[in-house]
Amino acid sequence: MIEITNLCKRFGQTHVLRGVSMAVKKGEVSVLLGPSGGGKSTLLRTINALETFDEGRIRIDNLELTPSEHQEAHIRQIRRRVGMVFQQFNLFPHLTALQNVTEAPRHVLGLSRDEAEKQAKELLCRVGLADKLHARPTTLSGGQQQRVAIARALAMKPEAILFDEPTSALDPRMTAEVVSVVADLAKSGQTMIIVTHSLGFARSVADTIHVMHAGAVAESGPPAQIFEDPQQEVTRTFLDQARND
Amino acid sequence: MKNAGGLLAAICLLAAALGVASVPAAADTLDEIKKRGELVFGGDAEGGGPFVFPRQDDPTQVQGFEIELANLLAARLGVKARFSQGQWGKLPDLLQRGDIDVVLNGYEWTPALGQRFAASLPYYVYELQMLVRKNDDRAKQLSDLGMPGLDGKMRIAVLGGSAAERYLQKAFGNNVEIVSYEGTTDAMQGVEQALDGVDATLQDLPIVTYYEKRFPKLRRLGEPVEPGFYVILARQDDQRLIQALNQAILGCYQDGSFPRVLARYGMWNDTQRRRGLVTDERGNFRPDLPATAPAQAGDAAAPPRRGLWQMLWQDGLGWILVQAAGVTVLLASLAMPLAIFVGLAIAVGRLYGPRFLRPPLGWYVEVIRGTPLVLQLYVIFFILPSWGLAIPAFWAAVFGLALNYSAYEAEIYRAGLQAIPRGQMEAALSLGMSRWLALRRIIIPQAMRVVIPPVMNDFIAMFKDTAVCSLITVVELSKAYYIHAQSTGAVVQLGLVTALLYLAMSYPLSIFVSRMERRLAEGRRHD
Repeated sequence: MIEITNLCKRFGQTHVLRGVSMAVKKGEVSVLLGPSGGGKSTLLRTINALETFDEGRIRIDNLELTPSEHQEAHIRQIRRRVGMVFQQFNLFPHLTALQNVTEAPRHVLGLSRDEAEKQAKELLCRVGLADKLHARPTTLSGGQQQRVAIARALAMKPEAILFDEPTSALDPRMTAEVVSVVADLAKSGQTMIIVTHSLGFARSVADTIHVMHAGAVAESGPPAQIFEDPQQEVTRTFLDQARND
Repeated sequence: MKNAGGLLAAICLLAAALGVASVPAAADTLDEIKKRGELVFGGDAEGGGPFVFPRQDDPTQVQGFEIELANLLAARLGVKARFSQGQWGKLPDLLQRGDIDVVLNGYEWTPALGQRFAASLPYYVYELQMLVRKNDDRAKQLSDLGMPGLDGKMRIAVLGGSAAERYLQKAFGNNVEIVSYEGTTDAMQGVEQALDGVDATLQDLPIVTYYEKRFPKLRRLGEPVEPGFYVILARQDDQRLIQALNQAILGCYQDGSFPRVLARYGMWNDTQRRRGLVTDERGNFRPDLPATAPAQAGDAAAPPRRGLWQMLWQDGLGWILVQAAGVTVLLASLAMPLAIFVGLAIAVGRLYGPRFLRPPLGWYVEVIRGTPLVLQLYVIFFILPSWGLAIPAFWAAVFGLALNYSAYEAEIYRAGLQAIPRGQMEAALSLGMSRWLALRRIIIPQAMRVVIPPVMNDFIAMFKDTAVCSLITVVELSKAYYIHAQSTGAVVQLGLVTALLYLAMSYPLSIFVSRMERRLAEGRRHD
């Protein structure tokens, strides 16, 4: 359902993405692994049109994103189908947990307040925050905030969700909370693309792993293959370093 | 009388450079006056006795020999006279704007004024009188003042920019030192208390006559000098009006009604009798005080001072000041929301608006921030009418304040918007919000919170800046204070009352601001 073809992006002289191509099927969980600066987060952000790119194209179902596409309405169509969860959560601090989740359904989809709140309560229950509906983000722990952020993304009923290092700002206990929520989502057949540095996380949820290095996909395959039998030197070096950390 | 200060003079020059043409009177003003049954004459009650000043028994009303003259003249035109308050130096501009029919407030005839306006026959000949302390016998006559060897140069207080100042420069040159004061009674007080080594003051004779009792330690030095002529000013096209007023002035002199008024104020003197200037074309004017005029000289001179309590309660001054404070509150509370709205729009435009819009918005901020509020008020009130946009004084003041503050608010909001992390906008966009929706629902509400303390701070500052609006005839708290401090002489007591009123307005706001700051600080601690 997501198809990326020959994506290139430059910042001045620096090539951040050098012809990335990959496909994510419906219900598939793809994890992007690789050393820092390899272009994982940039790739994720271009899919949600938070970054522009210079060549190639991105297809999401029947919608296409090209370098020359600037129409805001079209970009909004794409963003509605693809949710995003950020490393720093980016919850709206002036709203309660419940309001964070109802904000977009009410004002983008035009849901009534009752409908939006009913759905938001279900989602917050699902991520284990039934008792935090009216809490402000500043009073929540990092793990709780990230779970609200996931509920917020789910509230738009996206066809795919992009996770940009969702556990990097969390300690191990809070990481476990978030990983278990993501694993639940994976079981329910939610299409996801996840950027992470955590090998454990990747192994537990991924259907496919793409190892990115220097702006290109070095190797793709199921977790078993990537972890047990890596084909590329880049992948081996990365895994050795990551395991030693 | 008083003249425009340096800044205002500069503004006038600028206005002239901008090509402020006189607004041509659409219909004949005399006909208009008769139709509406009212002669509207401009004056400044702050100028004080004996010209125009608040009545002691009812400070909402004005009195003075010029009020009585206006009533006499209006009666002869078959209409009523109505006083219109304006800052003295700005009265000619109010005349051009068409807010008033004539200026009748101690304006002396000068060639420059004669060129810009139609001037009536003089209704009074004033002279300049030197005052010194009674216990200071160094000078025996006026010319002694410039003599060397009086242990240093004499320091002489005058009203800045007045005829007295010009006379001193002409007559004594560098032999005396001229000290400029803002108010006539301030200058007299300066001499009485020898403030800053001031030895003497040169004043218009009517002012001396009126205020003499209030300064018992002063004495007149020498005879009055340098006669000058108070005239009524009208717009240049209104020759018919001036001719009618001339007839009326002559009439009031001939039947003795105006001389009687002058006598009551202690202003009737030989100079008025001698002046050959006030004659009509037929030469039938007899300038003698009619024998029938009761010469109760000095009846209307400045009354003795009253206690603060008497003034505030019995004379109703307290209520007047509170009402003026109400005007201040109204000005600030109408202008500030407008300033915030415009400022926010500009800040959003500069940060998120279309690229072609950003530089002009930047220039707006720079121009408005880089020019003084008085100038902006002046342009709005006095110059826009010549382009066909005449705004009533109060609303001109509101718009002027809003305009001025919008530039500052724009910068505050710009900082506030920039303080919101980029991730907030990205999160909103990723949820499918449009940029505008994200701004409205996510970014601006957060920025509003951040900028509450600086914006409230500006709100408090605006309360004090409303004082400038007296330039365009709005009588707010400061102007009300100046007017009644001059007329009652209770400069210190009324000053304290006024200060308390300002404090009563700004202190609750200050408390609100510090509460807000504390709440914001607590909110941040959880981050």
